[in-house]
Amino acid sequence: MPDKEPLPAEEIRIGVYTCQCGGNISDVVGCARVVKAAGELGNVVVSRTNLSLCSDAGQALIEADIKEKGVNRVVIGACAPSLHEQTFRGTVARAGLNPYFYNHVGIREQASWVHHDNPDGATAKAIRLMAAGVAKARLLEPLEPIRLKAQKHALVIGGGVAGLRAALDIARRGIKVTLIEKSPFLGGHMAQLEQVFPTGDGARDLLKALIQRVVSHANITLYTQAELVGVQGVVGDFTVQICQQSRGISDDRVTAVNVVAPANLPDEFNYGLTTRSVLYQPYPGCYPATPAIDWAHYEDGCLELNGEPLHLQNKPKTFDLAVGAVVVATGFRPYEPPIGEYGYGVLPEVITLPAFIRLLALAGEDERLEFNGRAVKNIAFVHCVGSRQLDGLNEPQPDGQVNDYCSRVCCTATLQATNELHQRYPAINVFDVYEDIRTYGRGHELYYNLASENRVRFLRFHDDELPEVLAAPAGEEHPALVWVTDYLTWGQSLELPVDLVVLAVGMMPNPVDDIIKLLKINAGSDRFLAEVHPKLRPVETAVPGVLLAGTAQGPMNIQESCAAASAAAAKVAVLLGQGYVELEPFVAIVNPALCDGSGECIKECCYEDAISMQPVMVNGTEKVTAVVCAANCAGCGVCVGACPNRAIDLQGWTLKQYEAMVDALAAEDLFALELA
Amino acid sequence: MKNLQVDALVVGGGIAGMQSALDLADQGFHVALVEKEASIGGKMISLSKVFPTLDCCSCITTPKMSAVAHHENITLLTYCEVVALEQNGASYRAQINKKPRYVNEESCTGCRLCEYACPLDLPSAFDMGLGAQRVIRVPFSTAVPQKAVLDIDNCILCGKCENVCPVADCIDFTQTAVTFEIHADAIVLATGFELTPTDAKAEYGGGKLRNVVDALTVERFLAPTGPYGHVLRPSDGKEPESIAYVQCAGSRDISLGVAYCSRICCMYAIKQAMLLSGALPLADITIYYMDIRTFGKGYEQFYQNARAMGIEFVRGKVARIHEDAAQNPVVRVEQIDDGSVVEREHDMVVLSVGMLPSYNPGLIYNVPVAADDGFVAQSAANISPCLTYQPGIFVAGTAAGPMDIVDSIVMAGAAAAETAAYLEERRAVGMAGNGRSPQTTSVKEVSYA
Amino acid sequence: MSDKREDAKKRAILLKQLREAHKETVAHAQEKLKAQQAVRRDICKLMREEPKTVPEVAEASGIPAHEVLWHITAMKKYGLVVETGMCGEYYLYQRVKDGKK
Repeated sequence: MPDKEPLPAEEIRIGVYTCQCGGNISDVVGCARVVKAAGELGNVVVSRTNLSLCSDAGQALIEADIKEKGVNRVVIGACAPSLHEQTFRGTVARAGLNPYFYNHVGIREQASWVHHDNPDGATAKAIRLMAAGVAKARLLEPLEPIRLKAQKHALVIGGGVAGLRAALDIARRGIKVTLIEKSPFLGGHMAQLEQVFPTGDGARDLLKALIQRVVSHANITLYTQAELVGVQGVVGDFTVQICQQSRGISDDRVTAVNVVAPANLPDEFNYGLTTRSVLYQPYPGCYPATPAIDWAHYEDGCLELNGEPLHLQNKPKTFDLAVGAVVVATGFRPYEPPIGEYGYGVLPEVITLPAFIRLLALAGEDERLEFNGRAVKNIAFVHCVGSRQLDGLNEPQPDGQVNDYCSRVCCTATLQATNELHQRYPAINVFDVYEDIRTYGRGHELYYNLASENRVRFLRFHDDELPEVLAAPAGEEHPALVWVTDYLTWGQSLELPVDLVVLAVGMMPNPVDDIIKLLKINAGSDRFLAEVHPKLRPVETAVPGVLLAGTAQGPMNIQESCAAASAAAAKVAVLLGQGYVELEPFVAIVNPALCDGSGECIKECCYEDAISMQPVMVNGTEKVTAVVCAANCAGCGVCVGACPNRAIDLQGWTLKQYEAMVDALAAEDLFALELA
Repeated sequence: MKNLQVDALVVGGGIAGMQSALDLADQGFHVALVEKEASIGGKMISLSKVFPTLDCCSCITTPKMSAVAHHENITLLTYCEVVALEQNGASYRAQINKKPRYVNEESCTGCRLCEYACPLDLPSAFDMGLGAQRVIRVPFSTAVPQKAVLDIDNCILCGKCENVCPVADCIDFTQTAVTFEIHADAIVLATGFELTPTDAKAEYGGGKLRNVVDALTVERFLAPTGPYGHVLRPSDGKEPESIAYVQCAGSRDISLGVAYCSRICCMYAIKQAMLLSGALPLADITIYYMDIRTFGKGYEQFYQNARAMGIEFVRGKVARIHEDAAQNPVVRVEQIDDGSVVEREHDMVVLSVGMLPSYNPGLIYNVPVAADDGFVAQSAANISPCLTYQPGIFVAGTAAGPMDIVDSIVMAGAAAAETAAYLEERRAVGMAGNGRSPQTTSVKEVSYA
Repeated sequence: MSDKREDAKKRAILLKQLREAHKETVAHAQEKLKAQQAVRRDICKLMREEPKTVPEVAEASGIPAHEVLWHITAMKKYGLVVETGMCGEYYLYQRVKDGKK
């Protein structure tokens, strides 16, 4: 907590810096005019502009002014504070000044970008914003970041490949990890794949090796059938509540193999191509090996042991954990086409690519590929189903939005499937119906080349003439017809008679609204979880201490998911490795002399345990006043408005500072400066 | 120059190398970052704005460059190359050659008085030869370190720079290369990529036709620090009214021995087309392509925006480019949609050149490259993409194949995680040779003799 | 004072020795410089009185337009030439009268 001693009566010498942002600001805002106007303001001793203040040379300029010109308050007009406030705070600190003697004014987002069609207006606005920044700078006080002890323990949500990778890499840095997985088994969607591009490795072999390393690591605790149900606290010291379902049959009670369980449920592992029992295991070799009960479909008495009905009960247990950081690796789900899209759900011969991969796996050593009791001779793959959708052309999701993004993996995955198909069943005719082939990754183009060599027949459609899938007239040899206007044959309309249509469906994020709400993170307009900035902070969310790994953030292949997960692990190690975290000091602060203990602030406060009433000594007498717990305060300022006595204020954003800023924004004498 | 002991040696000061170094240093590991050029920043620092956010590129790169230079756990070594590597138990001993700058790096203030005094201009590689630089110069305005460097092979040794230099004995024509050693427990290779040479495909006339340029040249035209300060065509300084992009000019082309997709060209072409429409509102912009591959987060939406803005996308393979009497490039293209072959004249044609491996670490590091693309081979491409076939040597960014900035930064973070875990595990079994424990912060090694 | 003179003398001798040691590259660079100065004289003469476009300078001087552009670009970078406006699709450039050398 900063000292509340009166400031030394030093002269306030403000340096004002207007960044051109490499043209982003100066293309619209007359930076020279801003410099001149700011230079006229009281206490301003230096006013400069620079092409790129955040560069080393730009920062050196500011440092030199602090050291040589006695600048002791710094105002920078530049990009949004979210981008470079921290950068410049470092600059100011390096020059020996309290880092909070610096005020960042966002004239890129607030002036040049929004008013790009009105340079004069944008310049005038930039001048006013800078004047307000200077007004605030006069009243800045030295602050210290709030330092909190950090738990050397991270929570990873999701036991797919990204979650596994993140958990392992965090654990390897000596940090404890709790890994929770909603389903009863690890591996996520990757477990449903066979050969994976670009290496041709077996998906479950890769997973098995990774899982082995995870579950044998001393720093990792694993909970399956477990979900996040509560979150309190802040970075470094979150308290999370985990709720875990019972597994149903544990090894010590009975041997699951002796349980008689009818296989009467569609097996989601095989996308409904097979059935499974309510007591199940997705695949041999899965982890944990113990079968689990699918409680959603369990009915008392549906299982038998030694001729007797078995009575099982789900007794979920909830427990708390203290963790310093959370990695969200909640993954994706394949796009589920609405009934009728390309004949899906109407024609039985239309299936998705993930289902087709299972179909191929289930066919095993069969000499011919059969579907729906019929030998497959002709097969068509259709790309971009549920991806690259256009408003008005495609049916929107329940939220009203179409999937306007590319799902990244489907092109190569489709070609990999056609290649495998050709290798195993060379007699099958393969049609590949696409818009653009996006085999972008390392080694991916080879799959495309091989498919061409395998005589896959490519047909190319335009996004305004989507292909159609129809039932063939009765009595035809092949049950389905695919109509394509093909621009590889100059716009010919072609009719493909096929036995199977495979839709290369895209990715959608798993529905994790509950987790979004609990962690207070954001999803983007594509519904995937949003990072702060794709280049500056690509795996961080806007909530400190909450990181992203894998396809929860956007479509990625396995390699990309693992890279993102490792990158998130590196951030966790940076965050928790030191044993403490630092938070911004922008929290509420109470003046006990003015506080009469009305408790209005507590009533309005949205954060648990941020303000409490406690006895304190004021001028030698004890009285009960509001006391702020800095770690729990989010600095929202609601309490400031609620206090009848102006006894509570926000450090770094005080009422006095706001008043000065508003006065400056509305100042009459600024018009002259704007026109200068 | 004194030898250096660090936990990790990062080779390459482009965006991937910088990010790996920062992510390791932030975890308390001591890092030496070695860059062969006179400034860090890599290819990225020469770009204008970056997709899909259209942030000014400097705003992303320069703060990272600054952070690298100021980080207490990073020793930055520019103008240095690893010339030999020895395995020393489970650690590495790298021999470093520091090229002479002919300027005292310690005392140079970067004032550029020498540069202004120098009488001879040379084509600047930073501006693809279209701009100029002096024989002695600070590499570019945002260079880190801001120190002058002299090109002795083009110097007439007139001494004018020395006369104006405000620092005594700063310019030193007698400087020679020095060698020293870095002892490191782990190495991150972030050696980046090269662009397809402009003249790789003779049919396209690159290198011969003055108004056929590569996309990096256009980045320089669009950058505020670029050679012209505007978008002008190089033959005569005309502001172009019609600009065409030829996609896959160096990628997906078996005749060039490059079967792979370079990943970045679709997006940079679309981005440049958007920026050009901003800079030259009346210009027509055409993109000739085979497949548009806008696969990253927000990229497809970016592409659709460009279409809505009126940028013309033509499905077609460009067969060749020649020029007319006014040096206007004429593009002969087979249009896929109707099979017609047309010739179209533009003021300037941009070749969307691809990425090639820039460095083969086989000889020095004994790290193999993949036979089919020449980039560093990944031993566990799916699950551990940063592992090479050499224990303790990791790979980040485009050294492991084409990728864009976002993917490079993420992979650099992953490489830092792998390296950190490797160092931690070695320490746990008592194998730590060189580095100090990340928890102790001691005085930084003095890196100069 | 005499110390400084001594130093200057020493430096001059050193430079002379170095020029001898780097004979070939120095000679090559000197040729380049001479050619550059000659071309620049021609270009600057044309732009001294009134601003000109690149093709105008090229035509009047007989120097290829792309070379004119490069020299103007170089001189602009170091403050010897300024841009004064546009004429059609071309920018106009003028030699700065008291341009820093």
